[in-house]
Amino acid sequence: MVEMDTAQFNVLVVVGLLVLFYGGTFLISTRIGKKEENADGYMTAGNNLGFGISAASMTATWIWAASMYASATSGYTYGISGPIHYGLWGALMILFIYPFGKRIRAIAPKAHTLAEVLYVRHGRSSQLMLAGSNIVGSLISLMSNFIAGGVLISLLSPFNFTQGVFAVAAGVLLYTLWSGFRASVLTDFVQVVAMLGAVAIIVPFIFFAAGFPAAFETGAGNLTAEQGDFFSSTAFMEQGAPYIAAVLAYAIGNQTIAQRLFAVKESLIKPTFITATIGYGAMVIGVGMLGVLALYLGFEPSGGDPNNIIPGMASEYLPPVLLALFFIMIVGALSSTADSDLAALSSIMMADVYGQNVAGKEKADPKTMLLVGRITMVVATAVAVAFASLQLNILDLLVFVGALWGALVFPVLASFYWGKVTGRAFTTSVLAALAVFLPVRFGWLPLGGVLGFVVDLLSIVGVGVVIGLMVFGFFGPRPAKVAGIAAAVVTAPFAIGSLHEYATLSGSLVAYSVSTILCWAMSVRRREEFDFAVIAQRTGDFDDDDAAAVGTAVPGRAADTGNDPEPAGTK
Amino acid sequence: MSTVLLSAYVLMWPVLVAVVLFVISRGFFREWAEARRNGRDLI
Repeated sequence: MVEMDTAQFNVLVVVGLLVLFYGGTFLISTRIGKKEENADGYMTAGNNLGFGISAASMTATWIWAASMYASATSGYTYGISGPIHYGLWGALMILFIYPFGKRIRAIAPKAHTLAEVLYVRHGRSSQLMLAGSNIVGSLISLMSNFIAGGVLISLLSPFNFTQGVFAVAAGVLLYTLWSGFRASVLTDFVQVVAMLGAVAIIVPFIFFAAGFPAAFETGAGNLTAEQGDFFSSTAFMEQGAPYIAAVLAYAIGNQTIAQRLFAVKESLIKPTFITATIGYGAMVIGVGMLGVLALYLGFEPSGGDPNNIIPGMASEYLPPVLLALFFIMIVGALSSTADSDLAALSSIMMADVYGQNVAGKEKADPKTMLLVGRITMVVATAVAVAFASLQLNILDLLVFVGALWGALVFPVLASFYWGKVTGRAFTTSVLAALAVFLPVRFGWLPLGGVLGFVVDLLSIVGVGVVIGLMVFGFFGPRPAKVAGIAAAVVTAPFAIGSLHEYATLSGSLVAYSVSTILCWAMSVRRREEFDFAVIAQRTGDFDDDDAAAVGTAVPGRAADTGNDPEPAGTK
Repeated sequence: MSTVLLSAYVLMWPVLVAVVLFVISRGFFREWAEARRNGRDLI
């Protein structure tokens, strides 16, 4: 076994790199800064972003520091198929949600958040349920990115963890605060160039510096039979399958993705999402290969912590200049996601809390909205820094939020396609799904006998729901039903009697199935259908100047009556 | 898996990353140039 120590930058170098990165991004953000920012621009940049900047931003946002560490850990733990079971499924989820994105954008072309659309569709409870889960999710993501920054800086420099967290938090807030989402997407381009450029150079460099391809033969003995098998069932069941279920929920429930969906030019949604799919997959799997190389080398991460695999490999095999590039790559990954979380949180507080629930759509003052957005960013940063210092178990928190979003996926998507879904069906099905998820995921009840059989049965239905939803987006309801039923039938013989033993996977799957069954059962007999045209009329720009500037009638204004929008318009 | 296949499997991802980097950068700079020509903001 090889034990490797991490090399350290001196104070001057690490300060120089941080000033270079955050100073540079701040200067870039000042290029688009306006003395009088526009509230809608602060949230969605005018719904008119081009391909290059949107694809860069989607890629940069989806890649966070944890995804690189987790992919390498997966490679190190599960062997040669490990990075695929982390990165490929995450990438495909970007692809699978783009048809849903096109539908959502078609019925709500000028919305700012998904929760804002749900308010018009069902009313306050569903809106606040989704907005609340978005806030918790973004705060956890923000916190984990600050933690990753603190760990990296403490590992590679004389600074400690807390100093690292403060440096990253201050740097991100510095360039995001004034221009919000506009600054986030512009700086995402620079950050994605740094990240992708670094991976294109660093991975091949380490490959040859560490003695590969010869090390594939000399180190083959370090792999078990499962780790050396590209079709490892352990890797699929323990890493791939739970991730497939979780990331579909993340893609639907994450406001950072929805925000970019509402920002990109409508005709460019497809190429943007396809490019981001390939970019994310190649980048995360590529970094994950460092974990596979480490496994062949018999590498022991510092302190036994798999999060130290990437920094350890980098410091062992990279010369100082490339180590600095590696440092910038990780800081870029965590900053691009952190600034997106800040922009997401501010838009939820601006549009969903202040715009829809405090002032009301017609009375909302754009200047007050901007103030709300900026205060939100400062408060969110402070909260994330405070929680980062507690070093909570991020994975447990993320699993909880992932399941919450899993419970939301079918009710949310059905609400955008099926006019019969009611607010009551939405709320009841989500709460019931959560109530079933918790004991399954955390093992609060003994799952032997009948209870285990019921969980297996619900999980099988959950498999059908996940596959059915993926197919539905591209091919419509009939192929989706066929694919969903086929997936459930094929899974059943393997799942009955054993699936409940995989708590993470079965927890997610029961959340999908229970919410789907209840939402469907409570809606199917309803005769009235929701008129989806109401959504375009009742979601739209908050800023009058913007409406005047584009010189067209803003959707909703012509039909607005001056009253707060009432949910569930029926026809 | 043979050494050659394993090497290709590991090194194909950085190559793909470089291709995506090229596509995104080309798109960005084209849009930037167009915005400058038309005298409007990129974002």
